[in-house]
Amino acid sequence: MLEARLEQASLLKKVVDAIKDLVQDCNFDCNDSGIALQAMDNSHVALVSMMLRSDAFSPFRCDRNIALGINLGSLTKVLRAAQNDDNLTLKAEDAPDVVNLVFESVDSDRISEYDIKLMDIDQEHLGIPETEYAATISMPSAEFQRICRDLSALSESVSIECSKEGVKFNCQGDIGSGSVQLRSRTDVEKPATNVEIDMTEPVALTFSLKYLVNFCKASGLSDQVKLCLSNEVPLLVEYSLGNGGYLRFYLAPKIGDEE
Amino acid sequence: MKRVLAESTSARGNVQPSPRSAKKLKLDNNAYKNGRTPLKTANGSFNSSQPKSQFEEEVLEKMSQDIEGLKKNNTERDQQWQRPPLDGFNEIRDSLCFQQIEAEEGVLHGGKATVKLFGVTQTGHSVLLHVTHFLHYFYVAAPVGFQKHDCDPYRMYLEGEYSKQFSNHGAAIASVQMTMKENMYGFQGNQKSPYLKITVTDPKVINRVRRTVQDGLANYKQLWKLQEGGILTFDNIQYVLRFMIDTKIAGMSWVEAPAGKYRMINPRDRHSNCQIEASVHFADLIAHPADGEWAKMAPLRVLSFDIECAGRKGIFPEAKVDPVIQIANVVTRYGEDKPFVRNVFCLDTCSPIVATKIFDFAEEREMLSKWRDFLEEVDPDVIIGYNISNFDFPYLLDRAEHLKIPKFPFWSRLKTVASKAVATNFSSKQMGNRDTKATNTNGRLQLDLLQLVQRDYQLRSYTLNAVCAHFLKEQKEDVHHSMITALHNGDANSRRRLAVYCLKDAYLPQRLLDKLMCLVNYTEMARVTGVPFNYLLARGQQVKFISQLFRKALEQSLVIPDLSNQASEDQYEGATVIEPKRGYYDVPVATLDFASLYPSIMQAHNLCYTTLLNKQSVEKLNLKKDDDYIVTPNGDLFCTTKVRKGLLSMILEELLGARKKAKRELAVETDPFKKAVLNGRQLALKISANSVYGITGATVGKLPCLAIASSTTSYGRQMIERTKEEVEKKYCIANGYSHDAEVIYGDTDSVMVKFGTTELAKAMELGQEAAEFVSGKFIKPIKLEFEKVYFPYLLINKKRYAGLYWTNPDKYDKMDSKGIETVRRDNCRLVQNVIETSLRMLLIDRDVIGAQEFVKETISDLLQNKVDLSNLVITKALTKSSDKDGKDGGYTAKQAHVELAERMKKRDAGSAPGLGDRVAYVIVKGAAGSKNFEKSEDPEYVLEHNLPIDTKYYLENQLAKPLGRIFEPILGEKKASQLLTGEHTRSISVAAPTMGGLMKFAKKTQTCMGCKKPLMSVTEKDGAVCENCRPRIGELYQKTLSKVSELEVRFARLWTQCQRCQGSIHCEVICSSRDCPIYYMRMKARKDVEDGGKELVRFDRDAALW
Repeated sequence: MLEARLEQASLLKKVVDAIKDLVQDCNFDCNDSGIALQAMDNSHVALVSMMLRSDAFSPFRCDRNIALGINLGSLTKVLRAAQNDDNLTLKAEDAPDVVNLVFESVDSDRISEYDIKLMDIDQEHLGIPETEYAATISMPSAEFQRICRDLSALSESVSIECSKEGVKFNCQGDIGSGSVQLRSRTDVEKPATNVEIDMTEPVALTFSLKYLVNFCKASGLSDQVKLCLSNEVPLLVEYSLGNGGYLRFYLAPKIGDEE
Repeated sequence: MKRVLAESTSARGNVQPSPRSAKKLKLDNNAYKNGRTPLKTANGSFNSSQPKSQFEEEVLEKMSQDIEGLKKNNTERDQQWQRPPLDGFNEIRDSLCFQQIEAEEGVLHGGKATVKLFGVTQTGHSVLLHVTHFLHYFYVAAPVGFQKHDCDPYRMYLEGEYSKQFSNHGAAIASVQMTMKENMYGFQGNQKSPYLKITVTDPKVINRVRRTVQDGLANYKQLWKLQEGGILTFDNIQYVLRFMIDTKIAGMSWVEAPAGKYRMINPRDRHSNCQIEASVHFADLIAHPADGEWAKMAPLRVLSFDIECAGRKGIFPEAKVDPVIQIANVVTRYGEDKPFVRNVFCLDTCSPIVATKIFDFAEEREMLSKWRDFLEEVDPDVIIGYNISNFDFPYLLDRAEHLKIPKFPFWSRLKTVASKAVATNFSSKQMGNRDTKATNTNGRLQLDLLQLVQRDYQLRSYTLNAVCAHFLKEQKEDVHHSMITALHNGDANSRRRLAVYCLKDAYLPQRLLDKLMCLVNYTEMARVTGVPFNYLLARGQQVKFISQLFRKALEQSLVIPDLSNQASEDQYEGATVIEPKRGYYDVPVATLDFASLYPSIMQAHNLCYTTLLNKQSVEKLNLKKDDDYIVTPNGDLFCTTKVRKGLLSMILEELLGARKKAKRELAVETDPFKKAVLNGRQLALKISANSVYGITGATVGKLPCLAIASSTTSYGRQMIERTKEEVEKKYCIANGYSHDAEVIYGDTDSVMVKFGTTELAKAMELGQEAAEFVSGKFIKPIKLEFEKVYFPYLLINKKRYAGLYWTNPDKYDKMDSKGIETVRRDNCRLVQNVIETSLRMLLIDRDVIGAQEFVKETISDLLQNKVDLSNLVITKALTKSSDKDGKDGGYTAKQAHVELAERMKKRDAGSAPGLGDRVAYVIVKGAAGSKNFEKSEDPEYVLEHNLPIDTKYYLENQLAKPLGRIFEPILGEKKASQLLTGEHTRSISVAAPTMGGLMKFAKKTQTCMGCKKPLMSVTEKDGAVCENCRPRIGELYQKTLSKVSELEVRFARLWTQCQRCQGSIHCEVICSSRDCPIYYMRMKARKDVEDGGKELVRFDRDAALW
């Protein structure tokens, strides 16, 4: 039996919006510690890992492990029916056929209830092992989104170079080239605009902008985004979901001339 | 199991583009030189360590037994190559009678033009007969005022003008005669008018003389009025055809030179290496019409061969570099079912093969020269093989040239003529554009089975393997070229295996030839149309009709104008289609067909060149409408049979009459060979009759006459409409019938009538009656026939329908479907299977629910990745080439197969499909928003890397539409769409590939086998189940174990299946035929077993057990 209530439906809405272009069908693994999701995109270049800890819900109840196979397209359709600040409750049986979603309006007595038929998804569970990264950059998520969007107009890939001076996003395209450099800064007034660079050695890697732009759809979830890089290791882009929860994207670096 | 799993098919080849890739072998030259085994006594030793293959046991041994019974001799050594000796042939006593197989222009005794007739006598002797004194000629209308006595002066004048024109000396014009002839084009009022027959001394000059006359350069006494386009000449036809027409010799027919009338040629002066070479005056030659006794076939010798050559890895074999390593030959006499010569010429040693002679050579030059000697000695009349025109012949020639074997290219029957491969481009409306190479083998016919099958049959794949599987229902092992190399570089035994493979490749074309009866059918076509055999393959449709027309015209002293080839843009209206009333009919639907619609219209209305009228001639000849002439619905005028019977209608009458006769004889004939001949004949006659209409409509043709073509179709349209009217008028409740009949569909020559009755027998009765009733309304010989009843009948759209086909009320004949995905080639086999099976269930079993269940099950299998990969392969022909930079393809829009071919070329240029090959691909999942052409992938690559299939594409782009078309009329739209979205689509399985950017880094987390929970904790990590599922471990173990053993059995079965197919149970399977569904199944099964094994191991480590 699963029962999980979210104060704000917008959280789930945003998460699903952010990943639905990468993943179509996936299992939501529910257990007593929370709800997790891990899936690779079709071309196996990116991986999405989401964790919503039980603390994010009130109440949260999950007696035993349940895997909810959901088509994200269908989930999006249903979530569209929810207002951003509605309360959202997820319910499922122990061996479920459907997942039940209840939206409760805060200011009125409107209660809407939806069922989504579940899918049986047989998928290998793949993960990226935790590693020590050579460089970790925290920056405003809006800033990251803007950089990706601006550079994607020029080229298909971006190289991210992290050195003592700061972090440099650089791209070469047919029509020209562009680069954006950020230095670390701290603003006590507005901590949301901080740029922090924590580096043990310089790193330079190239990534597909198409995917980065896709990841940036999660910008609404958190003010800050964390980029973790090490040479010859996938990039980790992490958005915090509060209460220890996170939405992580991994992206394989481009190597050599490979497209 | 271990050995099995170690199968060495890691050498990845790509899509089998065409049979030629089977010929790409690799040979490491050094290894060959050093590693040569000194085993030379191959013929004597039978202690081969290899078990015999099935092919050897069943095919070759049987041959040896039969022949052994007769000869008591060693079948390996005593194969008789030569033709029977020419004992006791006497030119004074014996007449020379033979079946001529080829005719060509030639010269004899230095200058005189002759026709060379090659052939074989009943006793199997080869003959070359020079037919002398036949002169070529053409006609021109005699101008007004030209008198008989002007002939000779005109000849002199023309001669003079001609030699002035072309500064040619020596007599070119043999004679000018004045004869009474009639122009075939247009009705001439049955009046003959004077024509000049201009005969030339040498057929080579005829075109120049004709040009001189045409252009008005020899305007004798200024009698001709010059007009634009020049002066019209008549009877423009090739010398050989002219000869055959005038002497009434048809292609492949028997001819006879009576004793004493012919002269043997002195051996010293002979042109050929035929056993008999003689010359005869053309007037003394007797042509036997191919009837009765003369319908027989001479014992033609058919050589079927195949070569293997050793290419280098990744490069298509080049004659300059890569040696020929084996040549297998099989020679059969026509009419015998077993080849009397079977041998293999090979480079290096080879262990003996039962009933087959092995010739091993240390050197390639020697092997090639010996092979040529063999060719000359065995003297085949027909040479066949698979893709020989484009590969084997040119390759051998180029190779011999490179190795400087000057004697080698003499394959023809003429001593002095060397065979040369010439690139030709053959293009016709029927066959499309094709680049081919043609090699001349004068006096010997060639049949390339590949070209033949491509021309006559529509298949998904044209590899020898696929074609054999289709027609002979038998597979052959397809040895990957890298494997062939390994075999050749091995020892005498491995080369023996290769030799058996090569021999089988040589034997299969022979079997195909027998099965498809190509030789008989083409022979009959040649006899019916009167053209030489070679023309049928090398030329288009027109020449056949032209030959018939000239023959008929000659009988009636008609001359045929030489219309210059002006392509006109004129289009005319084609056949009509009655708008279908779509739906599912659960009542019998009768089909009424017009028998040979267009030929019968032409006969009924006397449409012909000779009867064509225009307004002026109607007035001039004072003809009466409807009595003397008719106006077709198209507005053209033709005179009636009363005034003149059309030539075409006579030809058609004859063809159809001959067909009826052949069919009658066929019914009573018992001898299978004669039966084959008769059947071939009636087919040839039918095709010829139907092509007459086509020729009149071909605007680029030799004798276009749109008036005839468009009148024919306009009558056809009218008749379909009329039939509909008549049937609906008569069969209605008002006339006392139980229901109103309804014509639900009609196309070109048939109408589908729903009489409304639910009884099959009643519908048939009504159909029969209606056919007779309507036939009565039309002029003879137009006949509406009741042929069949469809019950039930699913009418999807124009030219798309399916139904159960009944000709008698007790039992259906078959399921018939037209234009439905079952027959199309541009979709995957899955679609074909699903559609066919569901149609079968719907129409035959009437099990609508079962059919739905079946479709659902298939879709669910597809989504769960359980469908065999071979079912998902789509093939498309690569028809246009990209330019040299490889950048800008000939295709404007990017297409999946083109893109894939490009990508494959980058991976491995050698095995990538080339122009004209069919590319096989599957659609795999790609990044979000990627196009289809980015998602196409080579099936083998997919197997190897376990790439996930884009099931959505297959569901939505492949299955959805055809399924919708079939099920919508039956279930209604809403229910039909549920097939694609219902409960069964909720279970999916996604494969994890072994490649892709992130896969290098990703680590697989095991999930619980009970509840799919990822096993993260240290205690659970390597195990099989999570804490919660621990009680179920026994049950789950049981389940996994039985699954694995099931998979093992499956794999073992597939493996033995392949071993059986390759014919040796003890050898490893080396076949990698990409046309074979079992190949993919085997590869998949191997992977499944491996994965299953891994899963099983997890239980060993599970904490719950300890």
